Amino acid sequence: MNEILTQEKSIYIQIKEMIENDILRDILLEEERVPSTNELAKLYAINPATAAKGVNLLVDEGVLYKKRGIGMFVAAGAKQQIMAKRREHFYDDYVRSLMAEAARLGITKNELIAMIRDN
Amino acid sequence: MSKLTGTGITKTYGTNDVLQDVSLELESGRIYGLIGRNGAGKTTLLSILSAQNPATRGTVTLDGETVWENPQALSHLCFSRELNPTSGNGMTAMKVKEYLEIASVFYPHWDREMAKRLVEEFHLDVKKRMAKLSKGMLSMVTIVVALASCADFTFLDEPVAGLDIVAREKFYRLLVEEFNETGRTFVVSTHIIEEASDIFEEVIIVDQGRIYLKENTQELLERCVHVSGREEDVDAVTAGLEKHQEERLGRSKGVTVMLKPGQRLAAGYDVTVQRLSLQKLFAALCGEEERHE
Repeated sequence: MNEILTQEKSIYIQIKEMIENDILRDILLEEERVPSTNELAKLYAINPATAAKGVNLLVDEGVLYKKRGIGMFVAAGAKQQIMAKRREHFYDDYVRSLMAEAARLGITKNELIAMIRDN
Repeated sequence: MSKLTGTGITKTYGTNDVLQDVSLELESGRIYGLIGRNGAGKTTLLSILSAQNPATRGTVTLDGETVWENPQALSHLCFSRELNPTSGNGMTAMKVKEYLEIASVFYPHWDREMAKRLVEEFHLDVKKRMAKLSKGMLSMVTIVVALASCADFTFLDEPVAGLDIVAREKFYRLLVEEFNETGRTFVVSTHIIEEASDIFEEVIIVDQGRIYLKENTQELLERCVHVSGREEDVDAVTAGLEKHQEERLGRSKGVTVMLKPGQRLAAGYDVTVQRLSLQKLFAALCGEEERHE
């Protein structure tokens, strides 16, 4: 929470990722309540429907679950689940563009490997 | 769920068609943003939708009932127009508290407690005469009226004009809070697009008297990209797509692309693809180069 929203990605995706980041950082623990969509909307001055879209994605993925009349909670195993998903997307999110830039600059794969190995 | 529907709205002043055949539907429980260049017709549209101004042709209905001079419909509508120090509006000598008292008569659901709370929130001196208020304070009065009206469909015309950034952020938070609590529909016109874009569920762009587009804000931003790089590569990537505001500098080119459902950029080219802010998108769509006279 409390990150600044940027224009780089859709707002609802940023809300989703912020909650995920907080779960990874143990700011939100499993079985703890997460802020409601209204609370999120007020905190970030965004439309509640946008906040809800981000939260609902997490519910669909099983990272959060709803307790009727009480609110949204972090599911058991959420942290592991988020890490596994991010590992799956790691190549697309980080490596692909790194390799494209390296190609542009004529950096070979071996040079890249050396960079990683020596740091 | 309530619907405010405008059908074929045309407004002519003399020989000038300020609005031409405008049709749109506003639903309850939404926050809409209304953006457009100066003179596009935003204020006229807001005043016609809120039954403060008669259309030359066309109708405005609330759940099927015409709104014009209809007390029942009017009780659900509020138009908080932009007040400015020079316009007078017949209220130069009036004090703020008198202006708010009049508002309480106009709006049957007026919430006195909320008005009092907002006046304190904005540090407004209610004993001050309207003519003596700064531009910013006039905006605050507009906001108090809009929020305390408790109308189901509330129209705000440039509510943040003249407000400093702290006051503007306060307004956006107050709006979201009130929306959270009541689900009232707000239609907000503004020139300060970027900071407000996050609260608009849908954005309506008015251009030269017509609705240019009305779309879910997030979906609109997701389908617009800015492509830049070598001119030939940019042309190849964007072939056959809807393009706006092409700019060239030397061998490079930048262009804004609006993708239709199912369309994608061609792959395999070394170009930079970036998201646009609503502000930049609006400038690309309604800028000078886009005018068709």
